[in-house]
Amino acid sequence: MATIIIDGQNYDLPEGAKFNAIQAARHFGIEIPYYCWHPALSVVANCRMCEIEVGSKDASGEIKMLPRLTPGCQTPVRDGTVLVTDSVKVLEHRKNIMELLLINHPLDCPVCDQAGECGLQDYSYSHGRAEHRFVEERNVKPRKEVSDLIVLNTDRCIMCTRCVRFTREITGTAELQVMRRGDHGEIAIFPDHPLDNPLAGNVVDLCPVGALLDKDFLHNQRVWFLSKHDTICTGCSTGCNISSEENAGKVWRHKPRHNPYVNDYWICDEGRYGYKSANAPDLLAGSYILDGGDHHGATSDRFFKRLNEDLTHRILDKQSVLAIFSPFLSVEEAFSAASWVKHLTNRNTMALGPVSVLGQDQTYSPDKLTGRSGDTSFLVPRPFTISAEKSPNKAGVSFVINHFQGSNVVSFEDALKLVPSNPIVIVFGGSPNSDWITPEQSAEIRKAERVILFDTTINVLADAADYVAGMATFAEKAGSYVNRDNRLQHFDAALPLRDGVWTLLDILAILRGVGRSPIESRTILAEAAEKILALAKAVGGQVPEFGLNLTGQDALIPDAGFQDDWTMASLAKA
Amino acid sequence: MRSDDPSLKRLKPPKLTLFEQSYLPQILGGLFVTGRHIVNAAVGTGSLTMEYPEVQHQPSANYRGVHRLNKDEQGRVKCVACMLCATACPVHCIDIVGATAPESWTDREKYCQSFVIDELRCIYCGMCEEACPVDAIELTSFYDLTGLSREEMIFDKTKLLSVYDLTKTAEPMKSGIVAPESSHTNELYTTPTMGPVIERQQLV
Ligand code: SF4
Ligand code: SF4
Ligand code: SF4
Ligand code: SF4
Ligand code: FES
Repeated sequence: MATIIIDGQNYDLPEGAKFNAIQAARHFGIEIPYYCWHPALSVVANCRMCEIEVGSKDASGEIKMLPRLTPGCQTPVRDGTVLVTDSVKVLEHRKNIMELLLINHPLDCPVCDQAGECGLQDYSYSHGRAEHRFVEERNVKPRKEVSDLIVLNTDRCIMCTRCVRFTREITGTAELQVMRRGDHGEIAIFPDHPLDNPLAGNVVDLCPVGALLDKDFLHNQRVWFLSKHDTICTGCSTGCNISSEENAGKVWRHKPRHNPYVNDYWICDEGRYGYKSANAPDLLAGSYILDGGDHHGATSDRFFKRLNEDLTHRILDKQSVLAIFSPFLSVEEAFSAASWVKHLTNRNTMALGPVSVLGQDQTYSPDKLTGRSGDTSFLVPRPFTISAEKSPNKAGVSFVINHFQGSNVVSFEDALKLVPSNPIVIVFGGSPNSDWITPEQSAEIRKAERVILFDTTINVLADAADYVAGMATFAEKAGSYVNRDNRLQHFDAALPLRDGVWTLLDILAILRGVGRSPIESRTILAEAAEKILALAKAVGGQVPEFGLNLTGQDALIPDAGFQDDWTMASLAKA
Repeated sequence: MRSDDPSLKRLKPPKLTLFEQSYLPQILGGLFVTGRHIVNAAVGTGSLTMEYPEVQHQPSANYRGVHRLNKDEQGRVKCVACMLCATACPVHCIDIVGATAPESWTDREKYCQSFVIDELRCIYCGMCEEACPVDAIELTSFYDLTGLSREEMIFDKTKLLSVYDLTKTAEPMKSGIVAPESSHTNELYTTPTMGPVIERQQLV
């Protein structure tokens, strides 16, 4: 077992860990401040913030320290490594580095969007010095547009080159570079080659200061007003872990959350800006019944009563049901919905809603060499894929349908052909795009005697269906999705439910007559795990932080959970 | 501090005599003060009330009344929409919508598109004034605020700026520093202990 000494204390390193000093110290709850190092990027050791005293203990027990300070990001830890992170020399050094980094800094925190989650602010407070001895004129660099979506405030940049390394090492597109040297150094793009790769937005999250900022979010909110909710992106079947950040009933931005098994530290721009449909002003705002060629708003009571009476009557007449399940439903919603359909009648067919596939999967596979500019011995390169399949839960919904139907899932195209033989069609929607169904498909479904739709957007089918009930959007519901790699992941609701609608879980509970209280997704998942073999691992509805691998065993990742944020709050949590 | 901290000094209530325990001395003392005021008001000049509204009350210089939004020397709203006042406000009565400053404001990055204070919800604590890094919001000596509806008492940016125009001569900006012309805006926000700003403060 490898033992290291940090600040005079012995610690046992976890098996198989290849840590640098920062990772090792953080693993044991000790902070070594850093800027330029990033767990997924090569080590260049240019900010010097992480410098500590390093030494080693030899077999005889004698400790020899290196005479000068050494960057922690560049220091591998192995048996006998000695780290000193709290000596006067180290603390004084941090103060000097902070003063140096702030020499030309504008300190316009009041108008800077990074304020509140800024590495400079946090470290100034915890490691900096209150006065500033630089009296010469400041070097003011220009503000630049690096793409239609990202602005670069060069005056706030600390030249850590994280952004440059990201575009070279992860996306391989190399749009960013360092122009000129020393005090005149600036990050820049090549003329007419904007930073517009599909992962470009990640440089905003990477940038430890307010230099690279998202124009979509620019000057809209102060970050301390935002409540963060851990959720899953619904943009494609990769299922990136994101934080949905909301204030005053609106989602303002999506940020990636680290998950080494899914998205590492990144999300694509499509997912990043996918929050907008959660704020759409024209969502279905209640329940409606088609009467005399016109939709009339109905109170929930009346709606559920009429629907139940109508269905009971028809089922007694031995009419059969075709149920269509959108791949945007959560596992819990699909399970409840299928249970309800089964409860209505055994004469049913269950089909998957339309799954849109756009182009091809796009995979970024960084390795330890390509584009790397520094030491890569501490990093484990992980691929990132933007899936062509643009829905979050095709796999999960298919598991549920397979279970209830005992046979293969009927595709949407085949389902449309089955409409003539099924007088009742029930559609469980949930797609954030109102164009998930075409007018032709809607007309085909409308040929049924009764069309019942549960959905979020006002779409062509909502204009035609006999019963239309608004339900919670992807941002208003909690539950779990199964991604393309059969990983079950839990997501929380980001927004409160809008007025006049229910979550689909509540609607189904009312229709099945099993209570009216808010239904918790975990109880439904626990029930599903008991009944459905494919979901059996989700015992008790419990899903671990990084999700549940339903079909295999996860490889052990020693540094899993190293969130790249330097805020004191996150360290206090660790 | 813990209740058994040795640096805490413990006080004992004084022992009362039998006469004091009857409360008569306190009651008589109170009546004496009332009597003094009655006599003073009737024959002397010691009146404590005034004939409002014919006679107007002059509040003290640090009175905290209705807010105003200050303007810079170019007549633009000084507020940079940092929302620190809204953050500091204990009753959440400030609502600000920030926006990127117009292209023509070369020295400004952000400004407030809308700025609304609910004067009815406000408790006039002055925290907003305290929090503002650019002295854009100040409490004036306006105290006789009336309105016929609740809506009327929700002050928007135009109204708050007009309070500045009304009061700017009688009550100059408290900081005394009008934003100096500067090619480098950011100096405006540096803390007073930092480099160039020290000199400017000494000049003023
Ligand atoms: S980058 Fe950080 S320190 Fe600099 S102005 Fe922005 S919030 Fe303030
Ligand atoms: S723009 Fe941000 S990430 Fe890029 S070098 Fe500057 S500080 Fe680092
Ligand atoms: S005076 Fe106090 S209560 Fe009123 S707006 Fe300012 S901070 Fe809020
Ligand atoms: S604190 Fe001052 S500058 Fe900031 S939003 Fe309030 S009034 Fe505007
Ligand atoms: S030098 Fe180690 S983090 Fe920058």
